[in-house]
Amino acid sequence: MKRRLNSKNPASLIIGLVVLAILAIAILGAPLLAPYDPVAQNAAERLEKPSEKHWLGTDRFGRDILSRTLHGGQTTLLSSLLALCAALAIGLLVGMAAGMFHGSALDHILMRIIDVLLAFPFMVFAMVIAGLFGTGLVHLLLAVVSVWWVSFARLTRSVVLHAKNETSYAAAKVLGASNLAIMRKELLPKAISPVLILATFELGTLILSIAALSFLGLGAQPPAPEWGSMLADGRAHFFQAPHILIGPAAFIVATVLAFNLIGEGLRDRLDPYEKLEL
Amino acid sequence: MHTVLLRKLLEALLTLFFATLIIFALIRLAPGDPVRLMLGHPGEIAAQGTSAYDEKVAELRAELGLDRNIAVQYVTWLGRLAQGDLGTSIFTGKQVGSEIAARLPATVTLSLSALLVQIALGLIFGMVAALRSGKLADQLIRVACVALASTPAFVVGLVALALFAVKYGVYEISSDFSAARLWLPALTLGVLGAPQLVRIMRANLLTEFGKIYVSSAQSRGLDRKRVVRHAARNALIPLVTMVALSFAGLIGGAVVIESIFSWPGIGKYALDSILVKDYPVIQGYALVAVLMVVLIHFLVDVVYSALDPRIHHKGEAGREEKA
Amino acid sequence: MSSDNRAEALEVKGLQVAYEQNGRRTTVLNSLDFKLGKGEILVLLGESGSGKSTIAKAVTGMLPPSARIGGGSLRVGAERIPDLGKPGIPWERIRGRGIAMLFQDAQSALNPVMKIKDHFKESLLYHGLASAEGAAAISVAMLERLNFKDVRHILECYPFQLSGGMCQRICLALALCLEPAVLVADEPTSALDTVSQKEVLDLLRKLQREMGLTVLLITHDIAVANAVGNRVIVLNKGVIEEEGETRTVLTRPGSAYTRELLAARNRIARPARGLPPAAGKPVLEIVRLSKTFGGKKRVLRQVDLTLNEREILGILGQSGCGKSTLAKCVAGLERPSEGRILLRGADIGHLKGKARRETSKRIQLVFQDARASLNPGRTALQLVQEPLQYLRIGGKEEREALAAYYLHEVGIADEALTRRPPQLSTGQCQRIAIARALVLRPDILICDEAVSALDMSVQAQILELLQRLQRQFGFSILMISHDIRVLRAFCHHIAVMSNGSFGERKQESGRLHESRQPHTQLLLKCAGDMEDGLV
Repeated sequence: MKRRLNSKNPASLIIGLVVLAILAIAILGAPLLAPYDPVAQNAAERLEKPSEKHWLGTDRFGRDILSRTLHGGQTTLLSSLLALCAALAIGLLVGMAAGMFHGSALDHILMRIIDVLLAFPFMVFAMVIAGLFGTGLVHLLLAVVSVWWVSFARLTRSVVLHAKNETSYAAAKVLGASNLAIMRKELLPKAISPVLILATFELGTLILSIAALSFLGLGAQPPAPEWGSMLADGRAHFFQAPHILIGPAAFIVATVLAFNLIGEGLRDRLDPYEKLEL
Repeated sequence: MHTVLLRKLLEALLTLFFATLIIFALIRLAPGDPVRLMLGHPGEIAAQGTSAYDEKVAELRAELGLDRNIAVQYVTWLGRLAQGDLGTSIFTGKQVGSEIAARLPATVTLSLSALLVQIALGLIFGMVAALRSGKLADQLIRVACVALASTPAFVVGLVALALFAVKYGVYEISSDFSAARLWLPALTLGVLGAPQLVRIMRANLLTEFGKIYVSSAQSRGLDRKRVVRHAARNALIPLVTMVALSFAGLIGGAVVIESIFSWPGIGKYALDSILVKDYPVIQGYALVAVLMVVLIHFLVDVVYSALDPRIHHKGEAGREEKA
Repeated sequence: MSSDNRAEALEVKGLQVAYEQNGRRTTVLNSLDFKLGKGEILVLLGESGSGKSTIAKAVTGMLPPSARIGGGSLRVGAERIPDLGKPGIPWERIRGRGIAMLFQDAQSALNPVMKIKDHFKESLLYHGLASAEGAAAISVAMLERLNFKDVRHILECYPFQLSGGMCQRICLALALCLEPAVLVADEPTSALDTVSQKEVLDLLRKLQREMGLTVLLITHDIAVANAVGNRVIVLNKGVIEEEGETRTVLTRPGSAYTRELLAARNRIARPARGLPPAAGKPVLEIVRLSKTFGGKKRVLRQVDLTLNEREILGILGQSGCGKSTLAKCVAGLERPSEGRILLRGADIGHLKGKARRETSKRIQLVFQDARASLNPGRTALQLVQEPLQYLRIGGKEEREALAAYYLHEVGIADEALTRRPPQLSTGQCQRIAIARALVLRPDILICDEAVSALDMSVQAQILELLQRLQRQFGFSILMISHDIRVLRAFCHHIAVMSNGSFGERKQESGRLHESRQPHTQLLLKCAGDMEDGLV
């Protein structure tokens, strides 16, 4: 059965998708669209304010901020997507296993692991990894994946536990379905849509967190054109030349906003309850 | 009720135990020889390669017990932790424990005030959004939440600083821990975490509004205020758990805010130490952060079971009256 | 007993309600008029979709936002509302003291985190009927009046600590302590077991006698209407089919629709049994079966039961007696804690993995909520092939042919084969579920309250279908139900379960009344009393 698009609030979904499409085109087409070489330095044009020549101004080495931001988006977006996919895969797998074998030793062990990881705030974990293993995007992403899957696992598990109380689950069992068939045909389809909604929101949070850590100097290191490293770079000059920060920050806001709007829109479509008045 | 709390306490201790295991493993997995790193103080680098240096390495290795079996090392390490000994900073040579203890009040004050701000905003705006569901107020709150949830913490922090410190001059830029300097970082951190609570409060309330006991309260002729109070009591219970989860986010977010506002908390201390690879400080920071989160989770469990009678009356559901 | 010379407590005129969803408008009530005299119990009788619950919501201002009120006026005592469709109706003045309500699910109608005494206190104080101390006295008196024994203890309880029947009596007490002009009760006993149902209905009559209580009772159950109604209104698709004194309407119905309803009911009671059982040829033996949940809650205690080939065996019991757990153990959904379940002599109680799945071919289960047991995304034809796919039986064409054959046998028309559950009626869903169970040619079919959620006419059809199929294929049926009437007519034997065990061996269903078990006698008496006077 296909769900019909709920007329309630399709605007946010559409706006989100449009913004995301524009961003994707601009970022993926950066080699063609960017007006300058993102790493070319120009000592004569240092810390210039936005102008016709440099729409978003230049940084302390005279590099064009717009070009750097467009190029930098590739790294940020691709690495966040990669981290999300890995976290999603682990989370779904663990959540399904824990939910399917609810109450077993496996479930208890998995839940303990989840509890322990929940005690590590993500930022703290990333800081520890950066401190012990060195700063850099790769370490950051490893830190992300190793604690981020927990939220997907928890959600999947609760969806599975809920679905196991439904008649359709008992029916499949009575009809002789194997555990694998039940997971594939009954449980996974039910988990997929809430997990995807969570994923769109989490992707936004993820980009924000990576940006925050980069801003603190724990992410990608200069001179790579990457949003985070540009932020770290811009921080030092914020009060003299705030525009260095504004370029990449605006792109981050737009990207995260797009994902959040898509998430809101998706949730509206799948929202089970009617608007209630009191 | 006591058995429930006792179980929760044991779970918390178990979590803490495993967390120390993870931290210990990470330290051992970290590249480089900890002894050489500990000796890697700028002043001693010149001595590297000399026999005196090697002697010192061996001495320290024995002193730290690093030449012994890994399990023994862990137990020794844990024993030291239990006594509050977090080691000494490589960089400053000071006791990490006392350094953290000196900065802890700043972080605790900041995160708890931010938590209060967050809860207050979440309750008020979540309630308004639910009561005006679908109307203009709800839409506005929703737009504000999405916008806020899409803005990086440092942007909000820097803008706040630029506005209140630079432009209006009502906020003093310094690195003191004082009540007069608390309001801006606390508000910033609280506002940043609020959208999530607003959203959940709204959703919870709407779910409760749909339940039969609310219709039933209405059917008894109670006014709107009292009917909403019925729903709110039930909507608040799951919110308590959310508060626990968002506290972990607060501890993390505090690092950014402390760094921007030069707030002298443990987050800023840890950050400064990471850049110079001061292992004992990083380790100490991780332990304290985890301890705080576990503590809050436990406290929330206590509050939860006090709020929900179904927890401590478990197992006596649906008794038939003996006629 | 004419209502004309009495003062009216409630009057509804020209009530029109429609629901609007995705731009589509469905009219539910079309210009409905009725009156309710003071001290009268009026029953609104109708099947699902008749609009009976919409009436209850419309007169209390609790329609969902998707409802559109086309018009209608309401009068409750001195309060008049000329147009129910206009906003700004002072419902807070009408609800509670004017019109009080009882809901079907009484346990959910009480705030789960509030003690019973606080419910009373809040209501009484808010309406200014008592002081804080006075409230306690009033609630004690009211609960005692409603047959509660240990009142002080009850007041200190939370709703989840009490049974459904107790919660419904508490809701009744809560409503009555406000001395409402009218009590609107929407299916107040449908979720209760026979004994609690009888108790609540008896209470309504007693309160009518003692304090002149006026009730508008909404139900689908003819026996309930018979047990309490002074007058009955038969409702069909939003229109009043018939109105009159209960005895007249239910024994000498004037409208064709009412006659159909009563006929369907009688069809259920008509003993037309399937193939006779093969005595002494057990297909299923349950030996000293116990089931304990979480190490504490004992749901089944040392149950013994034998099911012979071609036997239709009924298991009668109240909600929570353990009969569904028994069904789940036999169907392999729960693992027994102790004891054995022998299928043709082989223990199947502790099988795992593939071996357990193999028993699916021998034992099948049909659920109460057929719609929920079917994947809404698949067509009838696909749904019936599911077990064949799960157990890898036959090729693609063979599976489809088998599915089509069984769907034909259960009376699903060819054009419905490609429809999905949302486009099918509840009765059709139950037929598909039966076809899906039979496609494996099981020896035993378990029906767990398989007809309880259905309208009377559909119930009769499904029961007739099951009997025809049993004659055709010769399987045994384990019929689990709380409905003594259905079981007596449908089954060869009946075993009565209470509190997790059978008090005595199964009885021939025609001789159930000879049972010496007090519990069985109580059930029979309650059911009999409610039927009293019906043909």
